[in-house]
Amino acid sequence: MTKKEKKEMVGYRQQPGKISFSRPGSGGKSPFSEARDEEMIPESQGGKKEQPWGDHKHDKLITGRIVGKPTSLVDSKWKVTGRAKYGDDIRLPNELIGKIVRSPHHYARVLSIDLSKALELPGVVSIATGDDASNKFGVLPVTKDEHAMAVERVRHIGDLVACVAAEDEATALEAVRLINVEYEVLESIHDMKDGLKDSKDPIHDRGEYHIGEANVQKRVFQEFGNIESMQENAVVSHKNNWFFNGVNHAATEPHAVVADWDPSGRLTLYTPQQVPHYVHRALADVLEIPMHQINVHRTFVGGGFGGKSDPFPHEMCASILARKSGRPVRITFDREEVYWINRGRHPSHIEMNLHADKQGRLCGIETDALIDGGAFASFGHVTTYYNGVLHTAPYEIGAFHYTGARVWTNKPASGAMRGHGAVNSRCAVEVGIDDLSEKLQVDPISFRLANLLPPNSATITGFRVTSIGMRECLERVMKESGWKDKFRKMPLGHGIGIGCGFFISGSGLPIHWDPNKFPHATVHLKIDMDGGVTVHTGAADIGQGSDTVVAQSVAEVLGLPLDMIRIKSRETDTSPVDLGSYSSRVTFMNANAAISAAMKIREDLLNATSEITDAPVEKLVIGDRRIFRKDDPAVGVSYLESLHKAQEERGALVASGAYRTPPMGRAHKGAAAGLAPAYSFSAYVAEVKVDVETGQTKVEKVWAAHDCGKALNPLAVKGQIIGSCHMGMGQVLSEEMRYGRTGNLMNTDLLDYKIPSIHEMPEVTPIIVESNDPEGPFGAKEAGEGPLLPILPAVCNAVYDAIGVRSNELPITPDRLYRDIEKKCRELKIDDPTDLPSPRLEISELQDILEKRADQHSIRDRERRLKSDIKPYHNGALFGMDPTIPPDEVDESWRVTVIPSKEYLEKPRLAGSAWLHTERRKRGE
Amino acid sequence: MKMPPFKLHMPTSIDEAIEIAKQMHSKEEEFDWVAGGTDLLPNYKWHLNSKKNVISLAKISQLTELSKTHIGAMVRLQDLADSELTHPVLAKSANSIASIMIRRSGTVGGNICLDTRCYWYNQTEDWRESIEWCHKCDCGTGADCRVIPNQNTLCVATYQADLAPVLMCMGARVHLISISGKREMLLNDFFELDGMKKNKLLPGELLTHITIPKETLQWEGDYQKLRQRESWDFPEAGVAVLWKKEGEKLKQLRVATTGLESIPGYHEDISSELVKDWNGNESIKILSEQIRKAVKPVQNTWYTPSYRRKMVKVLTKRACKGLLGE
Repeated sequence: MTKKEKKEMVGYRQQPGKISFSRPGSGGKSPFSEARDEEMIPESQGGKKEQPWGDHKHDKLITGRIVGKPTSLVDSKWKVTGRAKYGDDIRLPNELIGKIVRSPHHYARVLSIDLSKALELPGVVSIATGDDASNKFGVLPVTKDEHAMAVERVRHIGDLVACVAAEDEATALEAVRLINVEYEVLESIHDMKDGLKDSKDPIHDRGEYHIGEANVQKRVFQEFGNIESMQENAVVSHKNNWFFNGVNHAATEPHAVVADWDPSGRLTLYTPQQVPHYVHRALADVLEIPMHQINVHRTFVGGGFGGKSDPFPHEMCASILARKSGRPVRITFDREEVYWINRGRHPSHIEMNLHADKQGRLCGIETDALIDGGAFASFGHVTTYYNGVLHTAPYEIGAFHYTGARVWTNKPASGAMRGHGAVNSRCAVEVGIDDLSEKLQVDPISFRLANLLPPNSATITGFRVTSIGMRECLERVMKESGWKDKFRKMPLGHGIGIGCGFFISGSGLPIHWDPNKFPHATVHLKIDMDGGVTVHTGAADIGQGSDTVVAQSVAEVLGLPLDMIRIKSRETDTSPVDLGSYSSRVTFMNANAAISAAMKIREDLLNATSEITDAPVEKLVIGDRRIFRKDDPAVGVSYLESLHKAQEERGALVASGAYRTPPMGRAHKGAAAGLAPAYSFSAYVAEVKVDVETGQTKVEKVWAAHDCGKALNPLAVKGQIIGSCHMGMGQVLSEEMRYGRTGNLMNTDLLDYKIPSIHEMPEVTPIIVESNDPEGPFGAKEAGEGPLLPILPAVCNAVYDAIGVRSNELPITPDRLYRDIEKKCRELKIDDPTDLPSPRLEISELQDILEKRADQHSIRDRERRLKSDIKPYHNGALFGMDPTIPPDEVDESWRVTVIPSKEYLEKPRLAGSAWLHTERRKRGE
Repeated sequence: MKMPPFKLHMPTSIDEAIEIAKQMHSKEEEFDWVAGGTDLLPNYKWHLNSKKNVISLAKISQLTELSKTHIGAMVRLQDLADSELTHPVLAKSANSIASIMIRRSGTVGGNICLDTRCYWYNQTEDWRESIEWCHKCDCGTGADCRVIPNQNTLCVATYQADLAPVLMCMGARVHLISISGKREMLLNDFFELDGMKKNKLLPGELLTHITIPKETLQWEGDYQKLRQRESWDFPEAGVAVLWKKEGEKLKQLRVATTGLESIPGYHEDISSELVKDWNGNESIKILSEQIRKAVKPVQNTWYTPSYRRKMVKVLTKRACKGLLGE
């Protein structure tokens, strides 16, 4: 070819064969793909990984690379190098600083707001009040009761009244001081018991749905099972009146937000949110603009724990100020403001009654829970149900009676916090079982093992339970803690205790739509020539590792290293709608959606490979960046070759996957609360040392077994278990939101809000139990909230084992425990607490019966988890009912009731007394 | 949390510091001394009695001298705890203060002159506004005490520092300097029963160092402390016990307490009475009970007053354990 000819060849269209394209590599940093690790390939696929819990629908997707390996989180390097941008790290040019005027009164009518002096202050750019946004919002569509800023009245100290945007923080603070608000102070309510009574000025008005003239926000009455015979069959009973102080999430990062209206008139809100979608909706409501004009940008989240899952008034304030001033506005909370916004665990009065019959069966649970909602509804509607329905399982029980009420008081609003609604009543029931076992003179672990529901069963409230690893959790902690040599055998001051947990793995019903009309989670994938996979998801990584789990799921299905997966989960502009990070739903729902999207890409790749190699698709498997014949691994192509083939006609591959829950549950009012596609189970043993002379409790060791179905990332699961222990330890021993004589919250700072320090932290042995959930992604269930539940009762029960004293108020601070120790000493006529007797256990004949029953159940459970053609099992079989039909459908003595009877109302329990009121619409006024 | 602006002065000698103080005095400008800043600056962030001027002692090397008998005001708490020259009981109490990060910054002088603390006082400005302020920081309103209402003379905020009780038992003397010259006194005489006045320091006066009599360096003893967490928390109660034995015979016994009232308590009257007919365990029992009776905590810290009093008894008993020679 002459030089001239070469020149002439330069043209728009290159001719095939003239210039050779280099063959695509395999993709990824290493040019060579690694062999499949047969130890990670399930037996059902011909690999070596044993499957004692049976096979799984996702087995065929296992490429043996990623899932199940301890993996550092994909964003961890951003965090440890300080590159991660949290809420307050967002700096936009020309920003203003926003500050909030807050109420100094518990409850007051706002008469007037004088802005004149503040407006005159140089540097003040805009000011907003309740008049700027009159629309209500709230996290649950049924209870929207919040405003951006006070409209007519303020409902707690720290409630928002107005907000200011200024050139700098000092000016904004000065302007806040110059705003003069005139209030008419109203009579405030602090004791939640007062909330049950009629009031002159209820904190909210629910119109025709208002319950009496009281401050009852929500009430629940439920009866299941054989209520009548519960007490007559009982040979022992337990009763305890608990008080649980409120606790706050105390996330490291205080709330912060930046709002920016861009030149095209769209709002971008930068916020460390757990649930960007709900803020998205609320902003549209409050600002009266369509959702498509808003982009919610989730920043890195410095801890959520439920405290960042509501749409918040300060997010509205920043947006309003930014709209008014035409400049970005940043609001960052002081720690004190975090307590004003709260949404922590409800302070609760819980009466727990348990009954056991002579065969050592739990023939009844009666629970009455009065919970203090503070000034707003938040998630409280759900919390009221959760306090009841989440503590029946994992046990098979004869009857369940629940009354619950949530009242408004003039305190910062309670809401959802890790273990939402389940933590306090779980503690009460597990401590009750310890007491019942003692009265029956049996080992409390044996008692539990003989009363567990089997896999693939229905609880007394009609929840469909699929996989259960409860038995294994109990057996593992019993063995590893040396339980049998320690329980009721250690000297005074040394104790060991057991507690169990049960938690939803995602809420079955989305709160904003019919689950049949729109999925719970959607994930989009996009792959272009470079082979990297862009994943669009709305799941909010709040530090729990949701980005990582989605990346892992996609990488596993496509046989790619993690560095080829790019997670885009920050912006509602690009991510599909997702319900966010709460109710422990993300791994279950979002990873399932990701798998289903990845399966579509996988199919494209297999088809393309089949075209290249002529191998039938059924014979092809995916390994590390290579697709090949299973029966002749030499025949195959690299990932990139296959990808480029698949792209020939379409360019970039895109796929969408979604997850929705299957139909489940029963039909009674409130049946949906607590429904979940799967449930996690856990059992912890805690070993403590109690100083009887001071009441100080030190947790020394915890053995923590959690059934998460399948640990997609064992490192993250262990982190969740240890972190849950720390958080639960706080609630059980030292953390409380303490309200003083005047109703003021006394400890709005991290010196006086006592989070356990490293010195208080015990040695935790995390034990992962994998029960292989049939519907979970690769068998996985939640591990973020359930692990918190058992630590509280385990510690309470260990304290009893150590000194023979049962507390009924959390946290068990030394002064409270010492008060109980003194009481015990007086009862026993002992002067010196070091002379207290250490509890001992004389085993009764029932122990043998329980052990035999547990053995039989163990066999039953194994069959039920491995066989595919099992019959239904409804709670009640243990009491002689036909397991295949819900007992209430065949036996009149078993029932489902949601309205209290006249007889009950003659002598209601505390929360139950909320039913003495009549709703306005039913009063015929 | 925004600190109010102040002018920071950084003298490099005591003389210079006093000179600055003198100028402030003549201009009638208020100021605070700042040593490690771990007490003052959080209070400033909360806008608690903040001043327009702050004189830092950080650059004055004369104040960091440390020997067995001389402890400079600017000796860092962790250095005191780590030094081989420090009496073991003093080292123990120093090592129990707050957390290691605070001990590396906080100083001996700062700890002795620690501001008193109260649930109704150590709060943000917004918070205090919601209770219409309090006696200790009334913002010009003449507000009442919120702990014990209807008394408007004394402040009952609690003194929660760890070093003072041990140093009191050691018979330490504090050395002060001001524009009117130097003076010194027993640490036992230094405190003044009022949560606002706290001690005998005059406006503009500075604590330069502490001296410890040689004699007590040989004494034995213990310091016991009550708190919720083993780090960070201020003492809810603290008991120091020091004694001198000759052979098996107890010659002298001193007890001091902290974290219970607006000043530390020195209880030598109780202990010296008991030394005369010392009878081991029996005497310890009586001593603990009498110390319990001698202290009068109020409801303004994490634990209840009744619990704190009961625990003083336990702490005293435990601090005396070494006396039993077991």
